[in-house]
Amino acid sequence: MNSHCRAWHRACLVALSALITGPVAAADAPLVAAASDLRFALDEVAAQFARETGGSVRIVYGSSGNFRRQIAEGAPFELFMAADEAYVLALAKEGRTVDEGVLYATGRIALVVPEGSALQLDPSLQDLASAAAAGRVQKFAIANPEHAPYGRAAQEALTAAGAWDAIRPRLVRGENVAQAAQFALSASAQGGIIALSLALSPGVLGGARYVTIPENMHRPLRQRMVLTKRAGTIARAFHAYLQQPAARAVFTRYGFALPAE
Amino acid sequence: MTTPAEGLSAELRQERPIPLAAALACASGEMLALVGPSGSGKSTILRAIAGIYMPQRGRIDAGGETWLDTGAGVRRPARERSVGFVFQNYALFPHLSAQDNVIQAMGHVPPAERRARALALLERTNLGGLEARRPARLSGGQQQRVAVARALARDPKVLLLDEPFSAVDQVTREKLYEELATLRRDLRIPIILVTHALDEASMLADRMCILHRGSTLQADTPLGVMTRPASPLVARLVGVKNIFEAAVAGHDEARRMTHIQWFGTTLEAGHAPQFAVGTRVAWSIPASHIVLHRRDRPSRGERENPVFGQIVRCVLMGEMTAVALRVVAGERTDLYFSVPTHVARRNGLAPGETARVSLLSDGIHLMPAAAGSAAATA
Amino acid sequence: MDGTALLLSLKLALLTVAILVPAGIIVARLLATHEFAAKPFVEALFALPLVLPPTVLGYYLLVAMGGHSPFGRWYEALTGHALVFTFHGLVLASIIFNLPFAIQPLQRAFEGIPEDLRHAAACCGLTSWQSLWRIELPLAWTGLLSAVVLTFAHTLGEFGVVLMVGGSIPGETKTVAIAIYDRVQGFDMTGAGLMSAVLLLLSVAAIALTYWTSSRHRRRHDHAG
Repeated sequence: MNSHCRAWHRACLVALSALITGPVAAADAPLVAAASDLRFALDEVAAQFARETGGSVRIVYGSSGNFRRQIAEGAPFELFMAADEAYVLALAKEGRTVDEGVLYATGRIALVVPEGSALQLDPSLQDLASAAAAGRVQKFAIANPEHAPYGRAAQEALTAAGAWDAIRPRLVRGENVAQAAQFALSASAQGGIIALSLALSPGVLGGARYVTIPENMHRPLRQRMVLTKRAGTIARAFHAYLQQPAARAVFTRYGFALPAE
Repeated sequence: MTTPAEGLSAELRQERPIPLAAALACASGEMLALVGPSGSGKSTILRAIAGIYMPQRGRIDAGGETWLDTGAGVRRPARERSVGFVFQNYALFPHLSAQDNVIQAMGHVPPAERRARALALLERTNLGGLEARRPARLSGGQQQRVAVARALARDPKVLLLDEPFSAVDQVTREKLYEELATLRRDLRIPIILVTHALDEASMLADRMCILHRGSTLQADTPLGVMTRPASPLVARLVGVKNIFEAAVAGHDEARRMTHIQWFGTTLEAGHAPQFAVGTRVAWSIPASHIVLHRRDRPSRGERENPVFGQIVRCVLMGEMTAVALRVVAGERTDLYFSVPTHVARRNGLAPGETARVSLLSDGIHLMPAAAGSAAATA
Repeated sequence: MDGTALLLSLKLALLTVAILVPAGIIVARLLATHEFAAKPFVEALFALPLVLPPTVLGYYLLVAMGGHSPFGRWYEALTGHALVFTFHGLVLASIIFNLPFAIQPLQRAFEGIPEDLRHAAACCGLTSWQSLWRIELPLAWTGLLSAVVLTFAHTLGEFGVVLMVGGSIPGETKTVAIAIYDRVQGFDMTGAGLMSAVLLLLSVAAIALTYWTSSRHRRRHDHAG
């Protein structure tokens, strides 16, 4: 029993020490906190960046409001790409960032209607208003207006169309706009308002249809990005790359309007 | 003054949770039986000696060492006492073979010698060939032997046995009695056996200690306790049925006798000058000291305390017949004794018949009368 | 298939087991062999993670470990990084929310050992450690196996607490459960489905192993003696 035990003990110790030594992935790839509407567009830009410069980044997608909170609590992100500049400016005021950041795009929202839905593709949302009032809508998805800018924009557009009160009891709120898209395009909802960039992403719509909602129905989605105090060389390089023509072309393809520069 | 071969002495006192007022001693090579009904605290006392139970107050010395002295703050736990303990259900380690069970107690033996010594011990307890078996594949008697071997493997200063025969059948039990009797001849340590069976205690032990509700009442040889119980309570506890009350009539210094008056009969008992003439005393006599007078021939003891009475009960119990003889009608004067059945038949013993017996005076034992009610209440 | 996330989950689960189970053995044995006035409260405390919603647990962990808490600040001063959003923070959270899964099966197993066996071990001269190692643990091995397997499987599947305390940092705190959630949001149903299947298989295997060994153990004891 003794020699067996000793060998077993040694094996356990080796395994344990291997485990304790830190996390798995390369520690130098910087962390980027990106709003969920950037999901497919940013993946493309990051791939391009890797091909051209050899530098890689780790992107985490989520709602801007959530990231703002996490960064304030010390989350190790080096670059924050928000869908609403208010969050960036707040962090800048708290001294968490190198500067006040820079506008990288203006976002748009779109109405999506899956196959077989009773709703029509009306960008003014009047059809939605009457359908909701008539009780023809069971579930309608938007992102959570509390911390997702695209959710806030959706709420503003619905209010402008006079549909908010009628549609409100039917709302399904996504954690972020990507989850809202998930709900909207599932068979369980009649439709939703999501980011245009997601509607344009390959493989997302499936058999559904979309229409862009006019900009004047909501406050502009001024998407601002900023480097945090932790930003290293690669993060800074990426930050610069995002303002180059190659990256901007990708953003345009995904329906973003570019800041005039 | 103190030698390693010194015996065991224990004194324990507490009120809660189990009341104890016990004092006992056991010399090296002696077997002391702790006897008492269930709940009398015998297991608790044994466990206190082992160190697996800590009493509130007490002192235990064994083999020249002080194991417990609450006054001085000495409370050695079981693993620091060199005890061998045989549990009622043996407490064998179920996942280890018999040999490995025994080896567990051999921490003080050099590792190279352990297997051989364990085997030798198992041979000694008649388990040769079974050392590789686990307890589940051993019979009750075999398990008990492993438990004894394991207890002895510790080279203990004291061997403690807690009702070790209660879990086996009669036939196995008698075999085990014999084995224990043989084994202990070579042991130079005090051995304490807890049992509720008087016959077991009488058979195996050198001395018997009677317990009642945590108090040690009397310690003496088995015969001594049965013939000279210290009180009617002890007499009842050791199964003496013949307990009566009488008055001291007089003392005869010359013949070393004391006379007592029992319902019109004067009996001669052993000299007991501590009882003043006229005091009421309790007296007992073991069944073995009541001799039946043969109808046809006068017996040798006829002169000794002859008593005449009527048979009120006559129960055939195989080879022996139990008889109850009422000496005075209407009073609690039933004498219990047994005779071989053939004798009962030849003398025509039957309920309603009269008979005569002799009470051997060296069996008549005087005790202080029980406070309050009559001594003969059960 | 996010290999990094799977590896991370496995690391987290193994590390939790390696740290929690030995500590659990000590605690469970103490609880099984001692009676004291505060015992029901202590046992309830250890059982809390069973009934608390993971978000409540996550909330309190954030408050206790976060960048604003004294503990979090002390840790950051000591090591240079925060406790939340790191793998180490996850390990700590994982140990806490797995307490009942490690302690309860072990405690039941220790309670099932007849007290006289411990007394016999003491009379054999065995120290408390020797008794634990040679006598009690071998007899409590089904409880040990349950504790290991349940802690492992439960850690693999934990989501709410991991998300709140760890964020979703790839290579650091993005476990398989979180990766699946993320994949679904990214409309990658195949990827999500593959990882879910792997987790399902691992969990089923873990539970089946526990039940099979304990029933085999029971059957063997029913047949014996």
